[in-house]
Amino acid sequence: MENALGAGLAIGLAALGTGLGIGILAAKAMEGIARQPEQAGVIRTSMIIAIAFVEAIALYALVVSLIMVSK
Amino acid sequence: MHTSTLVNPVITLWIAASLTFLFYFIAGRNAKLAPAGIQNLAEMIIGFFKDEVASMLGENSSKWLPFILALFTFILIGNLLGLIPGLGAPTSNINVTAGLAIVIFLLTHFMGIMEHGLIKYLRSFIPEGIPLPIVFFLIPIELVSQLARPFSLAVRLFANMFAGHTVAITLITLIFFFKSYLIVPFPIIGNLAVSLFEIFAALIQAYIFTFLATLYISSAIEGEH
Repeated sequence: MENALGAGLAIGLAALGTGLGIGILAAKAMEGIARQPEQAGVIRTSMIIAIAFVEAIALYALVVSLIMVSK
Repeated sequence: MHTSTLVNPVITLWIAASLTFLFYFIAGRNAKLAPAGIQNLAEMIIGFFKDEVASMLGENSSKWLPFILALFTFILIGNLLGLIPGLGAPTSNINVTAGLAIVIFLLTHFMGIMEHGLIKYLRSFIPEGIPLPIVFFLIPIELVSQLARPFSLAVRLFANMFAGHTVAITLITLIFFFKSYLIVPFPIIGNLAVSLFEIFAALIQAYIFTFLATLYISSAIEGEH
């Protein structure tokens, strides 16, 4: 029971931070594209790579919570 | 941790390695001046990595290009094998990604020592003109940051591939939870969407692993810290 609660908290809090991070990233990238539409391709590529870095943090928490549940 | 693949990861590793060899072997066997088919694809990948990734290494770029390309293609094919039912991605096993990350870690410091010599390489971690007491704080910080690099490389690739498999399994398990035929369309559509996202994640993660490995090696060779 405590394990499930902890696992839920672990992935939930990590998803909160990751969601905020990806939201800020996408908003700034859109501002950049709106400012300079001719650079849209470059900005989109680097945004996707940066999102993959942020997303990995949530996946660390996913692994931790899966370990917590399976114990 | 239990393995999420039906086939032994060692077998899928060998499949990925053979496919990597075969891809470049077939692409380069009858090389024509006007590329077509598989040669065109290989030239596109080589051109992209030559301009975007290997250029970080400066004058050594052409020496390192085969290693970078082999690393990328091997990880990409390893990731994509997970989309074939019954095979499973070798990179969704933590031991495989940890092995790759340890190779990168050892190679980085080996190249740094080869390039600068042991004493000069170790000194390059500490900036010039810093008072002695601060150096004692810098050593553990630098040690942790160096050891965290292979850990994050391994866990990032592993977690991305493992998460895709887990979501697919969870969607299929819904059928057994609800014990009803009405739920069946939902896992099918969900699994289709997850598989499409997995193709994207496989490409991005293979690129990021290769990019970071090249970044670490280039920082060790050039001694910028």
